[in-house]
Amino acid sequence: MYVQEQQPPWKVVRAFSGENGGSLVHLHNVSGGVLSGDHLTLDIDAGPGSIVQVTTTGATRLYRHRQGAARSEQHVKIHVAEGALLEYLPDPLLPFAGSRHRQCTSVSLADRATLLWWDVLAPGRQAMGETFAFDRLHIQTELRSPTRPLLIENLVLEPAQHPLQSPARLGAYTHVANFYACSVGLESSKWRELESKLTDFCSARSKPGVMIWGSSALAADGIAVRGLSVSARELPATLAAIWKIAKRFLTGEDAVLPRKVY
Amino acid sequence: MISLKLNTLLDLLQLADSALPIGAGAHSFGLETLVEEGGLCSETAESFFRDYISEAGLLDASFVRRAWRGEDARQLSDEFCARRLARESREASLKMGRRFSQLVNALVSGTVMPDHAVYPVAFAVAGAHLEIREDDIVLAYLRQSLAGLISVCQRLMPIGQVAASRMIWNLKPSICAAALASKNREVGCFTPLPELASMRHGSLETRLFIS
Repeated sequence: MYVQEQQPPWKVVRAFSGENGGSLVHLHNVSGGVLSGDHLTLDIDAGPGSIVQVTTTGATRLYRHRQGAARSEQHVKIHVAEGALLEYLPDPLLPFAGSRHRQCTSVSLADRATLLWWDVLAPGRQAMGETFAFDRLHIQTELRSPTRPLLIENLVLEPAQHPLQSPARLGAYTHVANFYACSVGLESSKWRELESKLTDFCSARSKPGVMIWGSSALAADGIAVRGLSVSARELPATLAAIWKIAKRFLTGEDAVLPRKVY
Repeated sequence: MISLKLNTLLDLLQLADSALPIGAGAHSFGLETLVEEGGLCSETAESFFRDYISEAGLLDASFVRRAWRGEDARQLSDEFCARRLARESREASLKMGRRFSQLVNALVSGTVMPDHAVYPVAFAVAGAHLEIREDDIVLAYLRQSLAGLISVCQRLMPIGQVAASRMIWNLKPSICAAALASKNREVGCFTPLPELASMRHGSLETRLFIS
């Protein structure tokens, strides 16, 4: 693993070797969070045949917007080369009251590249009475194979203008969890098979009004699992279980959680 | 201001007729799950659709505009599919687009429609071919999509014909707002609960709808 360049507040913690010959990399934001006017960029290039697991050391805290400052931005650009496996497992995004943030994540996958990725969006610091108290959160996500877009999302959340509690948006739920598994070139029947396995698991874990999960094959080369919950409590364990099912199905290997407390 | 030629008006009325035989009535796009689990009822339907139009309706409308303006139908449809997380809803739009294209080709006795287009793209391509104005085709698409979804609700919950008509009538400002906002190149859409409802639709014990 080569760290080509790092600048504060990013700190790339040294890589740990995994049992499968891969590298486990922790990303650390030494400032503790993202401040107004911050413009953070993260480029990850998983080389041909590499096996990499990238995680963070804690939630990405989006601090309150400071009057007169620009909104904060975080741009993540990931390339997974031919035959490589990247597991991108960041901690939740936590928008504080009054925060204004734009987050862009762009992932390009080469032939036979495999990606396992989860993310969690929290409503804010609920212990401080902050639920959807942020000003604006703009999340853009794009996932592409060499031939077509696999996933595109452009979410603009402005809770004061467009209430998130609407049943057309989140309803009674407050937390959003996503899991994506992609492997370019895998035939569509295999994705339907994985969808069926994950749907069974999701149905068993769902309790409408408390936490619901669903699984769906993407238009090509991948699958998405989404969960909505009224609390963060059961999300990490459920995401980890989904990740294990998908990894076992796609690679035949067990998923090993990053070394940290969950 | 509507200033359609008379025959163009008739074309638009026919394309936007919710009784058009393209299978729209077989798809709930996840509404069946929402109703089943108590997330949507007759009392909340109008406010639900007001927000739904401002998110999912806006996204659809942006694709109608882009297709009407001549962007490649295949690429647009691939992008649309990448924006539809739920497979059932995505496949519903592809099926309706295919049947709509076949119908239009049959009506005009020619091959004017793309062979792979999701429904909003196909609707716009037909509109452009028939020289229907851009704003009119966007408004018509949104209005007939809404009418279709409200018709779904009528089969799932106690909503009478007058109440359904009133809902469509009351939601005209939302339709106009989404049509106007869809002129922006980048539109957002945040509908995780309806999307998840569509993803979970196949797990319902009994289903009236395909999606």
